[in-house]
Amino acid sequence: MLRTWCGPLCLLSVGVSLACDEGLKPQTVCPPSFQGICGTVTFRGALPESTDVVYLVAYATFPQSQTDLFTFQPVPPPTLSLDSAARANEQAYALPLPNGTYHWVLAAWKKQGALSQQNADSLLREAGYYRNPADTTQAGTVVVNGTATGVDFVVDFTNMHPVSYYFP
Amino acid sequence: MKTGVLIVTACAVPLVLMGQGTGSVTGAVNDTAGLAIRQARVRALTSGPGARLVASTQTTDAGMYRLDSLPAGRVIIGVAVIGFFPAVDTIEVAAGETLRHDFRLRLSPVTLMPTIVTAAKRSQLLDQAITSVALVSREAISARAINTVDEAVDKAPGVQFINGQVNIRGSSGFVEGLGSRVLLLVDGVPANQGDRGGINWDLVPVDQVQRVEVVKGAGSALYGSSAFGGVVNLITRELPTGAHARLRATAGVLADPPQPVWGFRDYTGIQDGVDVSASYGQGVVRGGLAAGARHSDGYREQDKADHWQVSGRGEWRPEPAMLVNLSGAWASDQYQVPEPWCQSGQCTDSGQALQPFRIDTVNRGNSTRSDKGYVTALVTRTPSARVAWSARIGWLRTHFTDQYPGRRPPFAPADFSVANRYGGEARLVTRRDTGQIVTVGLEATQSDVTSNVFSGDTTGGGGRHMQDEYAAYAEAEQVMGPVRATLGARGDFLTIDGGGVTAFVSPRGGLVWPTRTGSWRASVGRAYRAPSLAERFVTTYALGFRVIPNPALRAEDGWSAEVGRSWTPLSWLRGDAAVFWTEARHLVEPSITPSLLIQFQNLQRARLAGLDLNVTAMSFAPHLSTTLAYQYLSAHELAHDTVPERPLLYRPRHLLTLSADYTWHRIGVGADWRYSSRFERQDPLFPGDPRLEGRILDLRASWTAGPLEAHLKVANALNYIYNLAPRVLEPVRTTTLTLTYTY
Repeated sequence: MLRTWCGPLCLLSVGVSLACDEGLKPQTVCPPSFQGICGTVTFRGALPESTDVVYLVAYATFPQSQTDLFTFQPVPPPTLSLDSAARANEQAYALPLPNGTYHWVLAAWKKQGALSQQNADSLLREAGYYRNPADTTQAGTVVVNGTATGVDFVVDFTNMHPVSYYFP
Repeated sequence: MKTGVLIVTACAVPLVLMGQGTGSVTGAVNDTAGLAIRQARVRALTSGPGARLVASTQTTDAGMYRLDSLPAGRVIIGVAVIGFFPAVDTIEVAAGETLRHDFRLRLSPVTLMPTIVTAAKRSQLLDQAITSVALVSREAISARAINTVDEAVDKAPGVQFINGQVNIRGSSGFVEGLGSRVLLLVDGVPANQGDRGGINWDLVPVDQVQRVEVVKGAGSALYGSSAFGGVVNLITRELPTGAHARLRATAGVLADPPQPVWGFRDYTGIQDGVDVSASYGQGVVRGGLAAGARHSDGYREQDKADHWQVSGRGEWRPEPAMLVNLSGAWASDQYQVPEPWCQSGQCTDSGQALQPFRIDTVNRGNSTRSDKGYVTALVTRTPSARVAWSARIGWLRTHFTDQYPGRRPPFAPADFSVANRYGGEARLVTRRDTGQIVTVGLEATQSDVTSNVFSGDTTGGGGRHMQDEYAAYAEAEQVMGPVRATLGARGDFLTIDGGGVTAFVSPRGGLVWPTRTGSWRASVGRAYRAPSLAERFVTTYALGFRVIPNPALRAEDGWSAEVGRSWTPLSWLRGDAAVFWTEARHLVEPSITPSLLIQFQNLQRARLAGLDLNVTAMSFAPHLSTTLAYQYLSAHELAHDTVPERPLLYRPRHLLTLSADYTWHRIGVGADWRYSSRFERQDPLFPGDPRLEGRILDLRASWTAGPLEAHLKVANALNYIYNLAPRVLEPVRTTTLTLTYTY
């Protein structure tokens, strides 16, 4: 009996498993199942020669000190594509985050070099952040409950601010 | 097939008398591991219509034989013994002279239990080992038409590769090839890298591998560090007498991405390669050379690779009981580095969240050149059936240079490492009539590395580090009625850069209890692994973060136990199952510090436990064999401080392999299907990344006609797109045709 059924059962298990194909599939930047913030970034100004990378980060509460700067999410943060073709148009982004409220969503420009808490002021610049549509002088608040969309902002390489701008 | 039933086939080959007078023939009969075979029947017969037996004898305890009073002229000698293929050779006997002629017998497939050499550092039957051992035969390697040794090991029960890093029962996880918890042996000689402790799977040409023995569970009691999770021993082909040659050519096609939006090139990728080998043996000297080259366009953007290799081996048997073996190999690889894949915004993403076939812009242009080689000298002597000793020395050298053209100061645009590993070992095996077998040995290894990335210099400068290891081990097996009991221990003494000595003692004990339908086995032993020089002193820049050294890293240790059962309940069904358990402390894993630095640190405690099951069924239909291999693994970091218990990274809970092979005359077809469940814990560096199951179907077909063999293989036939290591795409469907001509 065992001999009779082992073969067909094995083949059946393989067949069932093969039918459940769950490999990687194409996925838009911000799919329906995405949890976090989605939006676009528009670039302004020339890319500084000393550029290393531009991170996208979010803070649940606005940092109160330099130490708080390292409480960003997610870790590691995603980066923006900086080749000239990618900077010529709006660039879609997706920032994976837990559900919650985020009071500062920004692009952080990083100069070439090894980053530490000690040299953050010389290597990091705020290059642009999501603004309150009702008062564009203020940072906008984003509530994530699944997917938060439309969080669009400008990265302006001609108007970047060092850490000491916020925490003298 | 019933246990204990073996068939002896005697040779009956004719002899032709060509002259007057008589001569003698003497020689040794050994197995492929070089060990003497005693009580083998050796016979000489005449040929022609009047064929007759002219002399007959049996080998001594040292495997020696002597046939006297043979008629001068052409004589054919036959050797037969239970468990081995009979051997026949034609020789010319000169009147009044004594001719030397040795035999090396191959294990016969009718042997119920194969002989292994790794589990106890000596020759023993598979069912006498106290730990689980998986075997990959030459036939399985040939049938799968593979190009590298890791492909041969990958489908072994309980074994999984994650981007080139081998896991036995979930031992290593994935740490970018650093700090393997599996020890690689080449004919018993350790071959892990001196700097990273990892494994260069392309060091030995797959065409030169006769079989692979995978010993599961802690092997530190005999092999010391690196054998924390198991041992893989590559047994290379024996050198036959006479002149032989082999040509192996392979060509293949790599599938395009199944989704047009993932497309990255406008041509079809190919891979090809050629291997040639030749050997010659006569009298007491045998030698062989092999060379090969491979090219692949790769299946991803920035994925081209080239490989060259040469290897050689020589044997000299100055006396029947003694064998001197010299071997060496050199391999060079130059390849582009296609990792990590491109996330949205990091390349021309076409609006996709990820482009798994494309490289991100930051890592464009990265490449590696890797050269490695080894030379080994081994002397074995078996003066009697009761005593055997061996001694070896070896040198393994690795040299890699990673190019990072996109890197900016203060980090160098290239990382390099030159590492040497010098080793020596002396071993003595004694056997008594009381059923006691004792193995004792001494081992010494010195590793050094000169590197800018493993220097420990956080300013990016170069540096040199050295690690010395000295060890003594002893293990005894005693037959007590039906039970074989084993007890042993190994002491390891380790120094870094000439500093203080750190000592480890790794005891092990076990029992094997044969039954009518199989055997039970149980073992418990201590496992330990010293961190590699790379784990201690790595200093680099990765993923935008600084990786800093940790010279204070301490050794991992733990206790490993298993209870296993092999059984043959029905003539067509054979199985092996084991329950295993490892309690580990101080496992070395990469961690992110509060100040956002990456550093290798010791975990508190971890537990790896599970079930390993392997069932082979013959004859569901004529000429059909099927195998099921399943591993259940529970691998957790145990709770400590504020950290709750959580799964270890990169360990699947379920690993299942189903294989089937059907042969009909000269034609064979087969398939392997491998399933691995998704990792339970998300990578902390990439929390949003997909975690996928592995569902891989490999198909194969073969055709043999005399010296010519053709093998067709379709790996990942369904072109299942997935990853195991973070942001590294696993291979796509690859169709390969391999032709082999043997002379």
